[in-house]
Amino acid sequence: MLKRIIIGFLGLLPMACNMIEYHPYDVRISGEEDVNRKNIARIESDCAGKDTLRFALMGDSQRWYDETERFVKHINKRDDIDFVIHGGDISDFGLTKEFMWVRDIMGRLKVPYVALIGNHDILGNGMDVYEKLYGEVNFSFVAGKNRFVCLNTNALEFDYSQPVPDFAYIYSIYNDTTAIDRTIPVMHVRPGDVEFNNNVSYVFQESLKLFPGVEFCLHAHNHCLMEEDLFGDGIIYYGCSSMKDQNYLLFTLSPESYSYEVVYY
Amino acid sequence: MKWSIIKYVSLFAFLFVAEVAEGRELKNSKDIPAGLTAEERRQLRHERRISNYQSAWGKLIPRYGKLQYAGSMGFLSGGIGWDYGKRKQWETDFLMGFVPRFSSNKAKATLTFKQNYIPWEIPVRPRWSVEPLTTGIYMNTILADDFWGKEPERYPNNYYKFSTRIRFHFFLGQRIVFVPNPKIPSHTLTFFYEFSSCELYMISAIGNKAIKASDIVSLSFGLKFQFL
Repeated sequence: MLKRIIIGFLGLLPMACNMIEYHPYDVRISGEEDVNRKNIARIESDCAGKDTLRFALMGDSQRWYDETERFVKHINKRDDIDFVIHGGDISDFGLTKEFMWVRDIMGRLKVPYVALIGNHDILGNGMDVYEKLYGEVNFSFVAGKNRFVCLNTNALEFDYSQPVPDFAYIYSIYNDTTAIDRTIPVMHVRPGDVEFNNNVSYVFQESLKLFPGVEFCLHAHNHCLMEEDLFGDGIIYYGCSSMKDQNYLLFTLSPESYSYEVVYY
Repeated sequence: MKWSIIKYVSLFAFLFVAEVAEGRELKNSKDIPAGLTAEERRQLRHERRISNYQSAWGKLIPRYGKLQYAGSMGFLSGGIGWDYGKRKQWETDFLMGFVPRFSSNKAKATLTFKQNYIPWEIPVRPRWSVEPLTTGIYMNTILADDFWGKEPERYPNNYYKFSTRIRFHFFLGQRIVFVPNPKIPSHTLTFFYEFSSCELYMISAIGNKAIKASDIVSLSFGLKFQFL
């Protein structure tokens, strides 16, 4: 009898250990870390030498976990997508577990994905969680002949304690000599939004235009589909909706042109 | 933050003074025995007032200490508390705890204000009893600059609509009470465990099949040392 109780107790132990939590903001990470770096390696090798690429832009998963799961199942049924970009707002409250829930859901994607940092991901000490799970808040990668420059633009969260957007990072990319034809800046918050440091929005735009072949920019944050020539210079800002709306933007890049469509799932 | 502390302290002081005043009124209404001189009556009244005053302040003496491991209020929290009610079915705890650094930039202190309700105590053996249900709520605050009670002014009004600093938790648990020394039955040692969840987790789980109960429930263990 006692033996059975002890065995039963030991059987429950792993579950009990998972239920030990010290604080919702404790940044006690379990499971996979450094997701962006690993997935960027996959994207760069999978897409090397490819002329035509296709990727999905989604974002603002926040508390739409079921919808995000549905998105992953939908993408896994397709075989024409090279990778996925999560445009930020992985979490809603910046809680440690929220990031891990979304990481585990998005981790079931067959294709690699990268995730940007959104303003909600900075709440509390969410940025510590983001950096541990995903990596640097500014990062870039090359897919075929395209460079994606992913930038933290959530300036309001930092109250001038950090340079946002980080021009030093943008400048450091100018020196990169990798042969590319097109640059695609990606951010969570687009210029003009209350979250953006609008004093530098024109300077930001000019600095992006110094990248080779900028035709359009990508963003998330607004929870609705957006398409706007923000600065009247022909560079279109495309925004994806939140997961609530169960759609995403599907971009196709070829050497001559690009196209996109909205896909509902 | 400072203003809110002043508000709570003054509310507490007000309630306490009201309690003292009520106690004095009741005890003074007892008849003073006849046949005393005016001087003796004055003396007696004075002694009663002193004793009322002391017993009122005496209620503030913590009646037990508590230690709690985990429970989303800190790695380890410890503090003091007061039990009251006809069957001592209510307990109010004030705990301080800490959260280790883990992958964040620094370790953090926490404060927890916990209200317990323990409806039943069932004696099972001499010196042992079981409390089959404990339930209640606790409010936890994390003391670090990255967390705010009210949104800083840089945000537009109602930008996030919640506080990162303060969490509300609901819990259910059970306890075993042991009397270490039968000669002092009022000194007890209580072991407890609790399942809890906080409001943000519950909001996240609502409407999401992807978030399971085991994802949002936190398990904790604790000890209570009754010394009064």
